[in-house]
Amino acid sequence: MDSEYAIEAEGLRRVYRTRTGWIRPRRETVEAVRGVDLTVRRGELFGLLGPNGAGKTTTIKMLNTLLIPTAGTARIRGFDVVRETREVRRRIGYVFGGDRGLYDRLSALDNLRYFAELYAVPAREQRHRIAELLELVGLTGRERERVEGYSRGMRQRLHIARGLLHRPEVLFLDEPSIGVDPVAARELRRTVADLAANGTTVLLTTHYMAEADELCDRIAVIADGRIQALGTPAQLRRRADGRRVVEVEAYGVPATALTALRDLPGVRETALEERGALQLLTVQSDAGVDVQGDVLRELAGVRLGRVNSREPTLEDAYVAIVNAA
Amino acid sequence: MTTLRLIGVGGLLAYRALFNWTTPAMYVGTLLAGPTFQLLFFAYLGRQLGVADDGFFILGNAVLAASSACVFGGTMAVANERRYGTLGHVLLSPRSRTVIFWGRVLPYAGNGLLIAAFTLLMGTLMLGLRIPPAALPGIALALAAGSLACGFFGLTLGALGLRFRDVWVVSNVSAALLLLLTGVNVPRENLPPWMADIGQFLPITHAAEAARLLAAGHGLASAAPALGTELLVGAGYALLAAVLLRVFEAESRRRASLETR
Repeated sequence: MDSEYAIEAEGLRRVYRTRTGWIRPRRETVEAVRGVDLTVRRGELFGLLGPNGAGKTTTIKMLNTLLIPTAGTARIRGFDVVRETREVRRRIGYVFGGDRGLYDRLSALDNLRYFAELYAVPAREQRHRIAELLELVGLTGRERERVEGYSRGMRQRLHIARGLLHRPEVLFLDEPSIGVDPVAARELRRTVADLAANGTTVLLTTHYMAEADELCDRIAVIADGRIQALGTPAQLRRRADGRRVVEVEAYGVPATALTALRDLPGVRETALEERGALQLLTVQSDAGVDVQGDVLRELAGVRLGRVNSREPTLEDAYVAIVNAA
Repeated sequence: MTTLRLIGVGGLLAYRALFNWTTPAMYVGTLLAGPTFQLLFFAYLGRQLGVADDGFFILGNAVLAASSACVFGGTMAVANERRYGTLGHVLLSPRSRTVIFWGRVLPYAGNGLLIAAFTLLMGTLMLGLRIPPAALPGIALALAAGSLACGFFGLTLGALGLRFRDVWVVSNVSAALLLLLTGVNVPRENLPPWMADIGQFLPITHAAEAARLLAAGHGLASAAPALGTELLVGAGYALLAAVLLRVFEAESRRRASLETR
Protein backbone atom coordinates (compact mmCIF):
# COMPACT_ATOMS: atom_id res chain seq x y z
CA MET A 1 0.00 0.00 0.00
CA ASP A 2 1.37 3.40 -0.87
CA SER A 3 -1.05 5.98 0.39
CA GLU A 4 -0.08 9.64 0.30
CA TYR A 5 -1.23 9.84 3.90
CA ALA A 6 0.38 8.15 6.85
CA ILE A 7 -2.73 8.56 9.00
CA GLU A 8 -6.33 8.86 7.81
CA ALA A 9 -9.37 9.01 10.05
CA GLU A 10 -12.97 9.51 8.99
CA GLY A 11 -15.86 10.00 11.36
CA LEU A 12 -13.98 8.37 14.23
CA ARG A 13 -16.21 7.90 17.28
CA ARG A 14 -15.71 6.13 20.56
CA VAL A 15 -18.27 5.53 23.27
CA TYR A 16 -17.31 4.13 26.67
CA ARG A 17 -19.91 2.24 28.64
CA THR A 18 -19.26 1.69 32.32
CA ARG A 19 -21.14 -0.26 34.96
CA THR A 20 -20.63 0.21 38.68
CA GLY A 21 -22.23 -1.69 41.55
CA TRP A 22 -23.65 -5.21 41.64
CA ILE A 23 -27.00 -5.03 43.40
CA ARG A 24 -28.20 -1.90 41.70
CA PRO A 25 -25.82 -1.50 38.80
CA ARG A 26 -25.42 2.03 37.49
CA ARG A 27 -24.65 2.27 33.84
CA GLU A 28 -23.02 5.28 32.28
CA THR A 29 -22.26 6.11 28.69
CA VAL A 30 -19.55 8.61 27.81
CA GLU A 31 -18.92 9.70 24.26
CA ALA A 32 -15.18 10.44 24.37
CA VAL A 33 -14.66 11.05 20.66
CA ARG A 34 -17.55 12.34 18.57
CA GLY A 35 -16.54 12.15 14.93
CA VAL A 36 -12.92 13.00 14.27
CA ASP A 37 -11.77 13.49 10.67
CA LEU A 38 -8.10 14.04 10.03
CA THR A 39 -5.34 13.21 7.60
CA VAL A 40 -1.63 13.37 8.32
CA ARG A 41 0.80 13.37 5.42
CA ARG A 42 3.85 11.13 5.36
CA GLY A 43 6.74 12.78 7.21
CA GLU A 44 4.47 15.40 8.77
CA LEU A 45 4.74 16.37 12.43
CA PHE A 46 1.15 16.75 13.51
CA GLY A 47 0.03 18.09 16.88
CA LEU A 48 -3.16 17.11 18.64
CA LEU A 49 -3.90 19.59 21.41
CA GLY A 50 -6.74 19.71 23.84
CA PRO A 51 -7.64 19.91 27.52
CA ASN A 52 -7.74 16.83 29.77
CA GLY A 53 -10.61 14.55 28.78
CA ALA A 54 -10.90 16.10 25.33
CA GLY A 55 -10.39 12.76 23.56
CA LYS A 56 -6.71 12.95 22.58
CA THR A 57 -5.56 9.66 24.10
CA THR A 58 -8.71 7.85 22.99
CA THR A 59 -8.09 9.05 19.44
CA ILE A 60 -4.49 7.82 19.58
CA LYS A 61 -5.58 4.47 21.01
CA MET A 62 -8.00 3.99 18.15
CA LEU A 63 -5.32 4.90 15.63
CA ASN A 64 -2.74 2.55 17.18
CA THR A 65 -5.16 -0.44 17.36
CA LEU A 66 -5.55 -0.58 21.15
CA LEU A 67 -9.21 0.40 20.88
CA ILE A 68 -11.84 -0.37 18.27
CA PRO A 69 -13.78 2.71 17.14
CA THR A 70 -17.49 2.67 17.88
CA ALA A 71 -17.99 4.20 14.44
CA GLY A 72 -15.87 5.52 11.60
CA THR A 73 -12.72 4.20 10.02
CA ALA A 74 -8.99 4.83 10.33
CA ARG A 75 -6.00 3.72 8.32
CA ILE A 76 -2.28 3.83 9.00
CA ARG A 77 -0.21 3.83 5.80
CA GLY A 78 -3.34 2.52 4.09
CA PHE A 79 -3.95 -0.37 6.52
CA ASP A 80 -7.21 -0.52 8.41
CA VAL A 81 -6.71 -0.25 12.18
CA VAL A 82 -9.49 -2.74 12.95
CA ARG A 83 -9.00 -5.43 10.33
CA GLU A 84 -5.26 -5.22 9.57
CA THR A 85 -3.86 -4.80 13.05
CA ARG A 86 -0.67 -6.76 12.47
CA GLU A 87 0.29 -4.66 9.45
CA VAL A 88 -0.51 -1.48 11.37
CA ARG A 89 1.50 -2.57 14.42
CA ARG A 90 4.56 -3.30 12.32
CA ARG A 91 4.54 0.33 11.19
CA ILE A 92 3.82 2.26 14.36
CA GLY A 93 5.58 3.22 17.56
CA TYR A 94 3.81 4.43 20.68
CA VAL A 95 5.40 6.53 23.40
CA PHE A 96 3.57 7.98 26.36
CA GLY A 97 4.73 10.18 29.18
CA GLY A 98 5.03 9.34 32.86
CA ASP A 99 6.89 6.91 35.05
CA ARG A 100 5.16 3.70 34.00
CA GLY A 101 5.52 1.54 30.92
CA LEU A 102 8.97 0.05 31.54
CA TYR A 103 10.17 -3.05 33.38
CA ASP A 104 11.70 -1.49 36.50
CA ARG A 105 13.73 -4.52 37.51
CA LEU A 106 15.49 -4.76 34.17
CA SER A 107 18.27 -2.53 32.92
CA ALA A 108 17.61 -0.15 30.04
CA LEU A 109 19.56 -2.51 27.82
CA ASP A 110 17.41 -5.50 28.77
CA ASN A 111 14.22 -3.46 28.38
CA LEU A 112 15.30 -2.64 24.84
CA ARG A 113 16.39 -6.21 24.15
CA TYR A 114 13.01 -7.52 25.24
CA PHE A 115 11.01 -5.02 23.22
CA ALA A 116 13.28 -5.69 20.24
CA GLU A 117 12.09 -9.30 20.43
CA LEU A 118 8.46 -8.24 20.81
CA TYR A 119 8.67 -5.82 17.89
CA ALA A 120 10.42 -8.36 15.66
CA VAL A 121 13.73 -6.52 15.22
CA PRO A 122 15.97 -9.09 13.47
CA ALA A 123 18.51 -10.62 15.87
CA ARG A 124 21.52 -9.58 13.77
CA GLU A 125 20.38 -5.92 13.88
CA GLN A 126 19.46 -5.71 17.53
CA ARG A 127 22.86 -4.96 19.04
CA HIS A 128 23.64 -2.17 16.57
CA ARG A 129 20.13 -0.70 16.68
CA ILE A 130 20.02 -0.63 20.48
CA ALA A 131 23.47 1.01 20.70
CA GLU A 132 22.39 3.58 18.11
CA LEU A 133 19.22 4.43 20.04
CA LEU A 134 20.97 4.63 23.39
CA GLU A 135 23.33 7.11 21.80
CA LEU A 136 20.43 9.04 20.26
CA VAL A 137 18.64 9.46 23.59
CA GLY A 138 21.82 10.05 25.58
CA LEU A 139 21.72 6.93 27.74
CA THR A 140 25.00 5.41 26.58
CA GLY A 141 27.03 4.49 29.65
CA ARG A 142 23.92 4.14 31.84
CA GLU A 143 22.31 1.29 29.89
CA ARG A 144 23.27 -1.44 32.36
CA GLU A 145 21.62 0.27 35.33
CA ARG A 146 18.23 -0.90 36.51
CA VAL A 147 15.42 1.34 35.32
CA GLU A 148 14.01 1.61 38.86
CA GLY A 149 16.88 4.00 39.62
CA TYR A 150 16.25 6.23 36.61
CA SER A 151 14.99 9.80 36.81
CA ARG A 152 11.80 10.67 34.98
CA GLY A 153 13.76 12.34 32.20
CA MET A 154 15.88 9.21 31.70
CA ARG A 155 12.79 7.04 31.67
CA GLN A 156 11.22 9.29 29.10
CA ARG A 157 14.26 9.04 26.88
CA LEU A 158 14.17 5.26 27.25
CA HIS A 159 10.48 5.33 26.25
CA ILE A 160 11.47 7.14 23.07
CA ALA A 161 14.24 4.64 22.32
CA ARG A 162 11.81 1.77 22.84
CA GLY A 163 9.27 3.38 20.53
CA LEU A 164 11.87 3.68 17.77
CA LEU A 165 13.39 0.19 17.98
CA HIS A 166 11.66 -1.20 14.91
CA ARG A 167 12.05 2.01 12.87
CA PRO A 168 8.32 2.83 12.84
CA GLU A 169 6.99 4.85 9.95
CA VAL A 170 4.42 6.48 12.22
CA LEU A 171 5.20 7.49 15.78
CA PHE A 172 2.50 8.37 18.32
CA LEU A 173 3.84 10.56 21.12
CA ASP A 174 1.25 10.99 23.84
CA GLU A 175 2.36 13.82 26.14
CA PRO A 176 6.01 12.71 26.02
CA SER A 177 7.39 15.74 27.85
CA ILE A 178 5.06 15.58 30.85
CA GLY A 179 7.05 16.08 34.04
CA VAL A 180 10.36 16.37 32.20
CA ASP A 181 12.76 19.17 33.20
CA PRO A 182 13.35 22.02 30.72
CA VAL A 183 16.78 20.81 29.58
CA ALA A 184 15.53 17.25 28.99
CA ALA A 185 12.41 18.65 27.28
CA ARG A 186 14.58 20.64 24.90
CA GLU A 187 16.58 17.50 24.07
CA LEU A 188 13.34 15.64 23.52
CA ARG A 189 12.07 18.30 21.12
CA ARG A 190 15.32 18.12 19.18
CA THR A 191 15.01 14.33 18.91
CA VAL A 192 11.41 14.57 17.73
CA ALA A 193 12.28 17.25 15.17
CA ASP A 194 15.15 15.10 13.86
CA LEU A 195 12.84 12.12 13.49
CA ALA A 196 10.35 14.11 11.46
CA ALA A 197 13.17 15.58 9.37
CA ASN A 198 14.27 12.03 8.57
CA GLY A 199 10.82 11.05 7.29
CA THR A 200 9.05 9.61 10.34
CA THR A 201 5.45 10.74 10.62
CA VAL A 202 4.81 11.96 14.15
CA LEU A 203 1.48 12.51 15.86
CA LEU A 204 2.19 14.44 19.04
CA THR A 205 -0.16 15.32 21.88
CA THR A 206 1.03 17.85 24.41
CA HIS A 207 -0.18 20.46 26.86
CA TYR A 208 2.82 22.67 26.15
CA MET A 209 1.91 25.22 23.51
CA ALA A 210 5.49 26.35 22.98
CA GLU A 211 6.42 22.77 22.21
CA ALA A 212 3.60 22.42 19.68
CA ASP A 213 4.36 25.81 18.18
CA GLU A 214 8.04 24.98 17.76
CA LEU A 215 7.62 21.45 16.41
CA CYS A 216 4.37 20.94 14.58
CA ASP A 217 3.70 21.43 10.89
CA ARG A 218 -0.02 21.42 11.62
CA ILE A 219 -2.08 21.35 14.76
CA ALA A 220 -5.59 20.12 15.49
CA VAL A 221 -7.30 21.41 18.62
CA ILE A 222 -9.68 18.83 20.03
CA ALA A 223 -12.25 19.60 22.70
CA ASP A 224 -15.41 17.82 23.73
CA GLY A 225 -14.49 14.92 21.45
CA ARG A 226 -14.45 16.98 18.27
CA ILE A 227 -11.76 18.79 16.30
CA GLN A 228 -12.49 22.46 16.85
CA ALA A 229 -9.71 23.96 14.75
CA LEU A 230 -7.06 22.66 12.37
CA GLY A 231 -4.19 24.46 10.69
CA THR A 232 -0.57 25.50 10.87
CA PRO A 233 0.55 27.16 14.12
CA ALA A 234 0.54 30.51 12.27
CA GLN A 235 -3.03 29.94 11.04
CA LEU A 236 -4.21 29.05 14.54
CA ARG A 237 -2.45 32.05 16.05
CA ARG A 238 -4.47 34.26 13.71
CA ARG A 239 -7.56 33.06 15.59
CA ALA A 240 -6.42 35.48 18.24
CA ASP A 241 -5.62 38.28 15.81
CA GLY A 242 -7.17 41.58 16.68
CA ARG A 243 -6.81 40.82 20.38
CA ARG A 244 -4.70 42.07 23.23
CA VAL A 245 -3.73 40.09 26.32
CA VAL A 246 -3.35 41.33 29.87
CA GLU A 247 -1.61 38.97 32.27
CA VAL A 248 -1.84 39.51 36.02
CA GLU A 249 -0.08 37.54 38.74
CA ALA A 250 -2.44 37.34 41.71
CA TYR A 251 -3.08 35.52 44.97
CA GLY A 252 -6.68 34.48 45.75
CA VAL A 253 -8.83 35.82 42.90
CA PRO A 254 -12.48 35.36 44.00
CA ALA A 255 -14.97 33.74 41.61
CA THR A 256 -17.09 36.91 41.65
CA ALA A 257 -14.17 38.96 40.33
CA LEU A 258 -13.71 36.48 37.48
CA THR A 259 -17.37 36.77 36.52
CA ALA A 260 -17.15 40.55 36.64
CA LEU A 261 -14.04 40.48 34.43
CA ARG A 262 -15.83 38.38 31.82
CA ASP A 263 -18.61 40.96 31.69
CA LEU A 264 -16.30 43.91 31.07
CA PRO A 265 -16.81 45.64 27.70
CA GLY A 266 -14.30 44.38 25.12
CA VAL A 267 -13.24 41.29 27.09
CA ARG A 268 -13.28 38.11 24.94
CA GLU A 269 -11.74 35.43 27.16
CA THR A 270 -10.50 34.99 30.69
CA ALA A 271 -8.44 32.14 32.10
CA LEU A 272 -7.08 31.50 35.58
CA GLU A 273 -4.11 29.16 35.92
CA GLU A 274 -3.03 27.90 39.34
CA ARG A 275 0.75 27.88 39.86
CA GLY A 276 1.10 26.78 43.45
CA ALA A 277 0.10 29.71 45.67
CA LEU A 278 0.31 32.04 42.68
CA GLN A 279 -2.48 32.43 40.14
CA LEU A 280 -1.92 33.66 36.61
CA LEU A 281 -4.94 35.54 35.30
CA THR A 282 -5.09 36.00 31.54
CA VAL A 283 -7.62 38.40 30.03
CA GLN A 284 -8.01 38.58 26.26
CA SER A 285 -9.74 41.65 24.88
CA ASP A 286 -10.34 43.40 21.56
CA ALA A 287 -7.08 45.08 20.54
CA GLY A 288 -8.74 48.49 20.32
CA VAL A 289 -9.99 48.41 23.92
CA ASP A 290 -7.61 49.05 26.82
CA VAL A 291 -9.03 46.91 29.63
CA GLN A 292 -6.01 46.96 31.94
CA GLY A 293 -7.39 49.70 34.17
CA ASP A 294 -10.80 48.02 34.43
CA VAL A 295 -9.17 44.68 35.22
CA LEU A 296 -7.11 46.15 38.05
CA ARG A 297 -10.19 47.93 39.38
CA GLU A 298 -12.14 44.63 39.53
CA LEU A 299 -9.20 43.06 41.38
CA ALA A 300 -9.11 45.74 44.05
CA GLY A 301 -8.32 44.14 47.40
CA VAL A 302 -6.61 41.12 45.81
CA ARG A 303 -2.87 40.82 46.36
CA LEU A 304 -1.22 41.27 42.98
CA GLY A 305 2.21 40.60 41.48
CA ARG A 306 3.45 41.51 38.04
CA VAL A 307 1.02 42.97 35.45
CA ASN A 308 1.87 42.60 31.78
CA SER A 309 0.20 43.54 28.50
CA ARG A 310 1.30 41.65 25.35
CA GLU A 311 0.47 40.32 21.86
CA PRO A 312 -1.50 37.04 21.75
CA THR A 313 0.36 33.71 21.42
CA LEU A 314 -0.66 30.28 20.19
CA GLU A 315 -1.70 29.50 23.75
CA ASP A 316 -4.13 32.41 23.74
CA ALA A 317 -5.56 31.19 20.45
CA TYR A 318 -5.85 27.71 21.95
CA VAL A 319 -7.71 29.05 25.00
CA ALA A 320 -10.07 30.96 22.73
CA ILE A 321 -10.78 27.86 20.64
CA VAL A 322 -11.31 25.58 23.64
CA ASN A 323 -13.53 28.09 25.45
CA ALA A 324 -15.65 28.48 22.35
CA ALA A 325 -16.19 24.70 22.09
CA MET B 1 14.41 -19.04 14.41
CA THR B 2 12.85 -15.70 15.40
CA THR B 3 10.02 -17.59 17.08
CA LEU B 4 12.55 -19.67 19.03
CA ARG B 5 14.32 -16.45 20.09
CA LEU B 6 11.04 -14.98 21.28
CA ILE B 7 10.39 -18.12 23.32
CA GLY B 8 13.94 -18.50 24.65
CA VAL B 9 15.47 -15.03 25.00
CA GLY B 10 12.12 -13.28 25.37
CA GLY B 11 10.90 -15.80 27.95
CA LEU B 12 14.01 -15.38 30.11
CA LEU B 13 13.93 -11.59 29.97
CA ALA B 14 10.23 -11.59 30.84
CA TYR B 15 10.96 -13.94 33.76
CA ARG B 16 13.52 -11.51 35.18
CA ALA B 17 11.20 -8.58 34.55
CA LEU B 18 8.00 -9.97 35.98
CA PHE B 19 8.76 -12.63 38.61
CA ASN B 20 8.54 -11.06 42.06
CA TRP B 21 10.58 -13.63 43.92
CA THR B 22 13.95 -13.42 42.20
CA THR B 23 15.84 -11.76 45.07
CA PRO B 24 17.89 -14.29 47.09
CA ALA B 25 15.92 -13.71 50.30
CA MET B 26 12.54 -14.15 48.61
CA TYR B 27 13.71 -17.08 46.53
CA VAL B 28 15.23 -19.01 49.43
CA GLY B 29 12.48 -18.12 51.90
CA THR B 30 9.44 -18.57 49.69
CA LEU B 31 10.50 -21.20 47.23
CA LEU B 32 13.06 -23.37 49.02
CA ALA B 33 12.60 -23.13 52.81
CA GLY B 34 8.78 -22.88 52.77
CA PRO B 35 8.12 -26.07 50.77
CA THR B 36 10.75 -28.01 52.77
CA PHE B 37 9.07 -27.15 56.07
CA GLN B 38 5.69 -27.94 54.54
CA LEU B 39 7.01 -31.35 53.52
CA LEU B 40 8.24 -32.02 57.05
CA PHE B 41 4.93 -30.86 58.52
CA PHE B 42 2.86 -33.23 56.42
CA ALA B 43 5.33 -36.13 56.83
CA TYR B 44 5.24 -35.88 60.64
CA LEU B 45 1.48 -35.39 60.62
CA GLY B 46 1.20 -38.45 58.36
CA ARG B 47 3.32 -40.48 60.77
CA GLN B 48 1.18 -39.35 63.69
CA LEU B 49 -2.09 -40.22 61.97
CA GLY B 50 -0.78 -43.28 60.15
CA VAL B 51 -2.13 -42.04 56.83
CA ALA B 52 0.81 -43.01 54.66
CA ASP B 53 4.55 -43.56 54.77
CA ASP B 54 7.22 -40.87 54.43
CA GLY B 55 7.77 -41.64 50.76
CA PHE B 56 4.18 -40.68 49.97
CA PHE B 57 4.63 -37.23 51.49
CA ILE B 58 8.17 -36.66 50.23
CA LEU B 59 7.23 -37.31 46.60
CA GLY B 60 3.88 -35.56 46.87
CA ASN B 61 5.37 -32.44 48.40
CA ALA B 62 8.32 -32.41 45.99
CA VAL B 63 5.85 -32.24 43.12
CA LEU B 64 3.75 -29.70 44.99
CA ALA B 65 6.83 -27.54 45.68
CA ALA B 66 6.99 -26.64 42.00
CA SER B 67 3.44 -25.30 42.09
CA SER B 68 4.18 -22.10 44.07
CA ALA B 69 6.78 -20.90 41.59
CA CYS B 70 4.83 -22.10 38.57
CA VAL B 71 1.26 -21.15 39.47
CA PHE B 72 2.12 -17.75 40.92
CA GLY B 73 4.87 -17.24 38.33
CA GLY B 74 2.50 -18.00 35.48
CA THR B 75 0.03 -15.54 36.95
CA MET B 76 2.73 -12.88 37.37
CA ALA B 77 3.77 -13.44 33.73
CA VAL B 78 0.56 -11.73 32.66
CA ALA B 79 -0.85 -9.89 35.67
CA ASN B 80 2.35 -7.98 36.49
CA GLU B 81 2.18 -6.25 33.12
CA ARG B 82 -0.61 -4.22 34.70
CA ARG B 83 1.61 -3.36 37.64
CA TYR B 84 4.33 -1.94 35.41
CA GLY B 85 1.98 -0.33 32.90
CA THR B 86 3.63 -2.30 30.09
CA LEU B 87 0.58 -4.19 28.89
CA GLY B 88 -0.20 -1.71 26.13
CA HIS B 89 3.30 -2.07 24.70
CA VAL B 90 3.06 -5.86 24.74
CA LEU B 91 -0.36 -5.76 23.07
CA LEU B 92 1.06 -3.48 20.37
CA SER B 93 3.56 -6.16 19.41
CA PRO B 94 2.90 -7.64 15.97
CA ARG B 95 4.14 -11.04 17.24
CA SER B 96 1.87 -13.95 18.12
CA ARG B 97 0.41 -13.61 21.61
CA THR B 98 0.46 -17.38 22.02
CA VAL B 99 4.21 -17.55 21.36
CA ILE B 100 4.94 -14.56 23.61
CA PHE B 101 3.06 -15.97 26.58
CA TRP B 102 3.82 -19.66 26.13
CA GLY B 103 7.49 -18.68 25.96
CA ARG B 104 7.11 -16.99 29.33
CA VAL B 105 6.00 -20.23 30.98
CA LEU B 106 9.18 -22.18 30.20
CA PRO B 107 11.54 -20.40 32.66
CA TYR B 108 8.92 -20.82 35.40
CA ALA B 109 8.65 -24.51 34.60
CA GLY B 110 12.46 -24.83 34.69
CA ASN B 111 12.52 -23.01 38.00
CA GLY B 112 9.74 -25.25 39.31
CA LEU B 113 11.74 -28.33 38.36
CA LEU B 114 14.78 -27.04 40.29
CA ILE B 115 12.67 -26.30 43.37
CA ALA B 116 10.97 -29.68 43.21
CA ALA B 117 14.35 -31.43 42.89
CA PHE B 118 15.70 -29.46 45.86
CA THR B 119 12.66 -30.31 47.98
CA LEU B 120 12.95 -33.98 47.04
CA LEU B 121 16.64 -33.96 47.98
CA MET B 122 15.96 -32.29 51.32
CA GLY B 123 13.10 -34.69 52.05
CA THR B 124 15.15 -37.78 51.28
CA LEU B 125 18.14 -36.52 53.31
CA MET B 126 16.13 -35.39 56.33
CA LEU B 127 13.70 -38.29 56.49
CA GLY B 128 16.04 -40.99 55.19
CA LEU B 129 14.10 -42.13 52.12
CA ARG B 130 16.00 -44.34 49.66
CA ILE B 131 15.08 -43.97 46.01
CA PRO B 132 16.51 -46.47 43.49
CA PRO B 133 19.00 -44.56 41.30
CA ALA B 134 17.43 -46.12 38.19
CA ALA B 135 14.16 -44.35 39.07
CA LEU B 136 15.72 -40.87 39.17
CA PRO B 137 15.50 -39.98 35.44
CA GLY B 138 11.83 -40.99 35.40
CA ILE B 139 11.12 -39.00 38.57
CA ALA B 140 12.86 -35.98 37.02
CA LEU B 141 10.56 -36.40 34.03
CA ALA B 142 7.52 -36.51 36.32
CA LEU B 143 8.65 -33.36 38.15
CA ALA B 144 9.25 -31.61 34.82
CA ALA B 145 5.82 -32.60 33.51
CA GLY B 146 4.18 -31.38 36.73
CA SER B 147 6.08 -28.08 36.60
CA LEU B 148 5.14 -27.47 32.98
CA ALA B 149 1.47 -28.25 33.63
CA CYS B 150 1.53 -25.93 36.66
CA GLY B 151 3.09 -23.16 34.58
CA PHE B 152 0.34 -23.35 31.98
CA PHE B 153 -2.26 -23.55 34.76
CA GLY B 154 -0.74 -20.34 36.21
CA LEU B 155 -0.79 -18.74 32.77
CA THR B 156 -4.51 -19.52 32.54
CA LEU B 157 -5.02 -17.75 35.86
CA GLY B 158 -2.85 -14.87 34.61
CA ALA B 159 -5.04 -14.61 31.53
CA LEU B 160 -8.00 -14.16 33.86
CA GLY B 161 -6.00 -11.24 35.25
CA LEU B 162 -6.59 -9.45 31.95
CA ARG B 163 -10.30 -9.46 32.74
CA PHE B 164 -10.45 -9.44 36.55
CA ARG B 165 -8.35 -7.10 38.62
CA ASP B 166 -8.21 -9.33 41.74
CA VAL B 167 -6.62 -12.32 40.07
CA TRP B 168 -4.35 -13.00 43.08
CA VAL B 169 -7.40 -14.14 45.01
CA VAL B 170 -7.94 -16.80 42.35
CA SER B 171 -4.26 -17.81 42.50
CA ASN B 172 -4.34 -18.14 46.29
CA VAL B 173 -7.50 -20.26 46.21
CA SER B 174 -6.05 -22.37 43.41
CA ALA B 175 -2.87 -23.04 45.40
CA ALA B 176 -5.02 -24.26 48.31
CA LEU B 177 -7.05 -26.44 45.95
CA LEU B 178 -3.88 -28.02 44.57
CA LEU B 179 -2.91 -28.92 48.13
CA LEU B 180 -6.32 -30.46 48.80
CA LEU B 181 -7.47 -32.09 45.58
CA THR B 182 -4.40 -33.47 43.83
CA GLY B 183 -3.55 -36.29 46.23
CA VAL B 184 -0.14 -34.88 47.15
CA ASN B 185 -0.89 -34.90 50.87
CA VAL B 186 -4.27 -36.60 51.17
CA PRO B 187 -4.52 -39.97 49.40
CA ARG B 188 -7.06 -39.50 46.60
CA GLU B 189 -8.92 -42.67 47.64
CA ASN B 190 -9.67 -40.94 50.95
CA LEU B 191 -11.21 -37.91 49.25
CA PRO B 192 -14.93 -37.65 48.44
CA PRO B 193 -15.35 -38.88 44.85
CA TRP B 194 -16.30 -35.45 43.50
CA MET B 195 -13.12 -33.96 44.91
CA ALA B 196 -11.02 -36.75 43.45
CA ASP B 197 -12.76 -36.19 40.10
CA ILE B 198 -11.87 -32.49 40.10
CA GLY B 199 -8.30 -33.43 40.97
CA GLN B 200 -8.09 -35.42 37.73
CA PHE B 201 -8.19 -32.14 35.82
CA LEU B 202 -5.67 -30.28 37.96
CA PRO B 203 -1.93 -30.16 37.37
CA ILE B 204 0.45 -32.28 39.53
CA THR B 205 -2.19 -34.96 40.32
CA HIS B 206 -0.84 -37.36 37.73
CA ALA B 207 2.78 -36.24 38.11
CA ALA B 208 2.65 -37.16 41.82
CA GLU B 209 1.13 -40.53 40.93
CA ALA B 210 3.87 -41.19 38.34
CA ALA B 211 6.66 -40.12 40.73
CA ARG B 212 5.37 -42.47 43.44
CA LEU B 213 5.13 -45.38 41.01
CA LEU B 214 8.69 -44.77 39.85
CA ALA B 215 10.08 -44.40 43.38
CA ALA B 216 8.36 -47.65 44.36
CA GLY B 217 10.43 -49.42 41.70
CA HIS B 218 7.81 -49.70 38.98
CA GLY B 219 9.34 -49.04 35.60
CA LEU B 220 8.78 -46.07 33.32
CA ALA B 221 6.29 -48.15 31.36
CA SER B 222 4.00 -48.34 34.41
CA ALA B 223 4.30 -44.61 35.04
CA ALA B 224 3.89 -43.63 31.39
CA PRO B 225 0.06 -43.38 31.40
CA ALA B 226 0.13 -41.03 34.42
CA LEU B 227 2.96 -39.02 32.86
CA GLY B 228 1.07 -38.78 29.58
CA THR B 229 -2.09 -37.66 31.37
CA GLU B 230 -0.13 -34.96 33.23
CA LEU B 231 1.23 -33.66 29.93
CA LEU B 232 -2.27 -33.77 28.45
CA VAL B 233 -3.60 -31.73 31.38
CA GLY B 234 -0.77 -29.22 30.83
CA ALA B 235 -1.53 -29.03 27.12
CA GLY B 236 -5.20 -28.42 27.95
CA TYR B 237 -4.31 -25.46 30.15
CA ALA B 238 -1.87 -24.15 27.53
CA LEU B 239 -4.68 -24.16 25.01
CA LEU B 240 -7.16 -22.63 27.45
CA ALA B 241 -4.69 -19.85 28.32
CA ALA B 242 -4.13 -19.07 24.62
CA VAL B 243 -7.89 -18.89 24.00
CA LEU B 244 -8.52 -16.70 27.08
CA LEU B 245 -5.67 -14.33 26.17
CA ARG B 246 -7.11 -13.94 22.67
CA VAL B 247 -10.68 -13.48 23.91
CA PHE B 248 -9.77 -10.95 26.61
CA GLU B 249 -7.52 -8.97 24.29
CA ALA B 250 -10.30 -8.73 21.73
CA GLU B 251 -12.71 -7.74 24.48
CA SER B 252 -10.30 -5.08 25.74
CA ARG B 253 -10.26 -3.45 22.30
CA ARG B 254 -14.05 -3.41 22.22
CA ARG B 255 -14.73 -2.42 25.82
CA ALA B 256 -11.55 -0.60 26.85
CA SER B 257 -11.29 -3.02 29.76
CA LEU B 258 -7.49 -2.95 30.08
CA GLU B 259 -5.17 -0.28 31.41
CA THR B 260 -2.96 0.10 28.40
CA ARG B 261 -1.03 3.14 29.60
